[in-house]
Amino acid sequence: MNKNGKLLIAPSLAWLSIFFVIPMLIVVAVSFASRTTYGQVVFNWTLDNYIRFVEPLYISIFIQTLVVALITTVITILMGYPLAYMIAQLPKKWQQPGLILCMIPFWINFLIRSYAWVIILRTQGVLNTLLLKAGIIDMPIQMLYNEGAVMLGMVYALLPFMILPIYVSIEQLDRRLLEAASDLGAGPFTAFRKITLPLTMPGVAAGTILVFISSLGMFVVPDVMGGAKSALVGNLIQNQFLSARDWPFGASLSIVLAVLSLVLIILYYKAIQAQKGGERDAAKDVA
Amino acid sequence: MQQKTWRSHVLLAYSLAVLAFLYLPLVILALYSFNDSRINAVWTGFTFKWYEQLFHNRRVLEALTNTLIVGAISTVVSTSLGTIAAIALHRYKYKMQNAINGLLYLPILIPEIVMGLSLLVLFSQFKVPLGKGSLIIAHITFCLSFVVITVGARLDGMRADFEQAASDLYATPFQCFRYVTLPLIMPGIVAGALIAFTLSIDDFVISFFVAGPNSTTLPLYIYAMVKRGISPEINALSTLMIGAEILLVLLAECLQPSHKAKEED
Amino acid sequence: MKKIIALLLCAMTFFLFGCGSDSKTADKGDEQVLNLFSWADNFSPEVLADFEKKYHCKINYDVFANNEELLAKIQAGGSRYDVIQPSDYMVATMKKLDLLEPLDKSKMPNTANLIKSLQTPAYDPDGKYSVVYTWGVTGIVYNPKHVKKAPTSWADLWNPEDKGRISLLNDNREVIGMALKKNGYSVNSKDKAQLETAVKDLRLLAPNVLAFDTDTIKQKFIANEAWIGQMWSGDASFTHKDNPDIAFVIPKEGAVIWADTFAIPKGAKHKELAEKFINYMYDPKVSAKNYEYIGYNDPNEKSESYHSDAYNKDPMLKAARDYITKGEWIEDIGDTLTQYDRYWTELKTGK
Repeated sequence: MNKNGKLLIAPSLAWLSIFFVIPMLIVVAVSFASRTTYGQVVFNWTLDNYIRFVEPLYISIFIQTLVVALITTVITILMGYPLAYMIAQLPKKWQQPGLILCMIPFWINFLIRSYAWVIILRTQGVLNTLLLKAGIIDMPIQMLYNEGAVMLGMVYALLPFMILPIYVSIEQLDRRLLEAASDLGAGPFTAFRKITLPLTMPGVAAGTILVFISSLGMFVVPDVMGGAKSALVGNLIQNQFLSARDWPFGASLSIVLAVLSLVLIILYYKAIQAQKGGERDAAKDVA
Repeated sequence: MQQKTWRSHVLLAYSLAVLAFLYLPLVILALYSFNDSRINAVWTGFTFKWYEQLFHNRRVLEALTNTLIVGAISTVVSTSLGTIAAIALHRYKYKMQNAINGLLYLPILIPEIVMGLSLLVLFSQFKVPLGKGSLIIAHITFCLSFVVITVGARLDGMRADFEQAASDLYATPFQCFRYVTLPLIMPGIVAGALIAFTLSIDDFVISFFVAGPNSTTLPLYIYAMVKRGISPEINALSTLMIGAEILLVLLAECLQPSHKAKEED
Repeated sequence: MKKIIALLLCAMTFFLFGCGSDSKTADKGDEQVLNLFSWADNFSPEVLADFEKKYHCKINYDVFANNEELLAKIQAGGSRYDVIQPSDYMVATMKKLDLLEPLDKSKMPNTANLIKSLQTPAYDPDGKYSVVYTWGVTGIVYNPKHVKKAPTSWADLWNPEDKGRISLLNDNREVIGMALKKNGYSVNSKDKAQLETAVKDLRLLAPNVLAFDTDTIKQKFIANEAWIGQMWSGDASFTHKDNPDIAFVIPKEGAVIWADTFAIPKGAKHKELAEKFINYMYDPKVSAKNYEYIGYNDPNEKSESYHSDAYNKDPMLKAARDYITKGEWIEDIGDTLTQYDRYWTELKTGK
């Protein structure tokens, strides 16, 4: 039985092998090719596209993207965790509707929602008008087309990917542990830090990965909310395919991005594992 | 005890604020669906005309149907495949565990445009006609990893003793799965399916490259419209969709109690 | 357990097979289908419906948002489109890559109604592969309420008084081309020194820019967010309708002329119907109806009398029309494109 059970992984692996691995082999091959004058790909096995990447211009773009992704992730945790916690506190029967209520905004086209933000935030927009009328400001504030706006757009786009996994792990938290902690005199903050947080870490970890990775590749938000004034890796890659017609360079940038993300994920998991061990001992101490 | 209610009030207020943040653009969107201006930059007057035009716009309605068909099928398939894979990964040790994990994570790491183009190349090499079929295949491929990760998070936090107990009580592996594991990880599966559905109905980069004649989805339609200005009909459609979704959620809730009572009998 | 897996695999193959055959029948079922691949909202829905009625056919209207996306799909093959709408420089590229069917103009007599100078554009000198559909000129749009001195030159975009209110198109060729024009060079320059001069100017301009935007620029001018910037004549006309303050000027150094065209890709299955469709669109009456809806310049010389007064007198469209023989086309610059992209990235990162 055990052996047969192992085969459960087969359908997914088969699917990904056909529709992901094979296409990716093509991408890897293209990353070692060159472009012709009209943008066609010639396979002449060169490292040029990777060598081209190693220069301050492109590396600084990567670093800036990482910073933006990191801040976005932290903000989504700060916003998503309490909301997920709240939903998990609701009576059982209201949890699923609560969750879906959080998801409904994301079933409306992303571009349409981003344009709605533009209507809210622009100089003659809803928010500035309200602030002016209330007498809080005397001059409209330029809220759009800067890094703050980009960040807002990203947080808004990626929040559900944080809320859902966190909810999933809070929901299964054994509440008796919290009661025990409280009985033993642990303050609510200590109980949260020593019990709730460590035990819901798998959810936070999954959410972090989904949000962090997705924000690395974003390119619509910087264009719409940021006025296309900054270049993030997503835009850089997009440009190689949709304006510079340089598929090989685009392919190599994507591979660099994927490898970098993979390394970060591994490091992140290692860090969590190490922390988990420590926290678990601490939780035992409290109990 | 009083302190506790004080804290839960703060939590409630904070959650409502986040919820307001999520819904604020939708309110604006709904408001502007009644705006007279074609280009929808400033408020010019109240009108119902976009709603009227919407119902005569064959292309939008076709796109909506395509989106929902593709979304539903790819959600069901990717959630089933992904859940099974997550369970297998959780339960068994594989020789190439790291490679398998890597393979399951990689699809989210690859920029969408690269995935779209490479699938286009694959389909054209193997003469797979572009249409709803190719669209669904692509959507399943990028949803799969998200499901595995979400369900995996649930399994990671699950206590092993229930399954152990069941199998000690001579439950067959299938019974053990059906009556113990499945109910326990259900919230994870629901969350995974929600993510898959959300991704599918909003995807345009990958969809663009693998769609063919007669398979334009709503995001494709909307993104292409940007150059000339998105028609307020789309706002009208979005408003109706939000309304319908909220209504459905509430309706499902009202119907549930009787259903539940039956189950308890 | 084995059974379950076998069942799943079966379901998968069945599903794949099923989907494949499904889309095939959709194509075979009806001979009279025109697969049209274009920009969204690029036709009057009534005109399309009229054509469907007249020729007893169905138009499958699919959309793209970027020329390169169009190229990728046509290049991959198997996309089954009959009529496509590449822009000017893309016609040249597709022609060179042998992706276009030569057009038999004798089967499309109405295309002779096209304005003469548009019949032989630089990107397709004999007009053998494409017919101009929408066209326009990229000029300066501004709001006289905020911009006191009417601009006459591209250099006026550099006016420090407009800091934070300037918009540029989000397109490396248009923006770098504009800076080249400002310095009196060709928009298609491949000369390193000329490019350096242009980019040096742009580095000074970049910090003053409100946004790089092609798609929602109209909204920015209507809502008074932007005061001065680059814009296509057709979009300027659109913006003018919602914000009558807006004015449009073609700078003295010259400007870019652009066009979206009709073309038939190699191997189109319904070539005859495609020819009928293109021919139909240049019937003067149809043309008038169509361009009244889309609001861009009508390339049809014979349709003026069918247009409304408001359309014929539109100042932005007229400005473009008066300039038609003087505009410079954006051409495919081959390998230099990589250089343009690099400058573009530098400008965006403020380096």
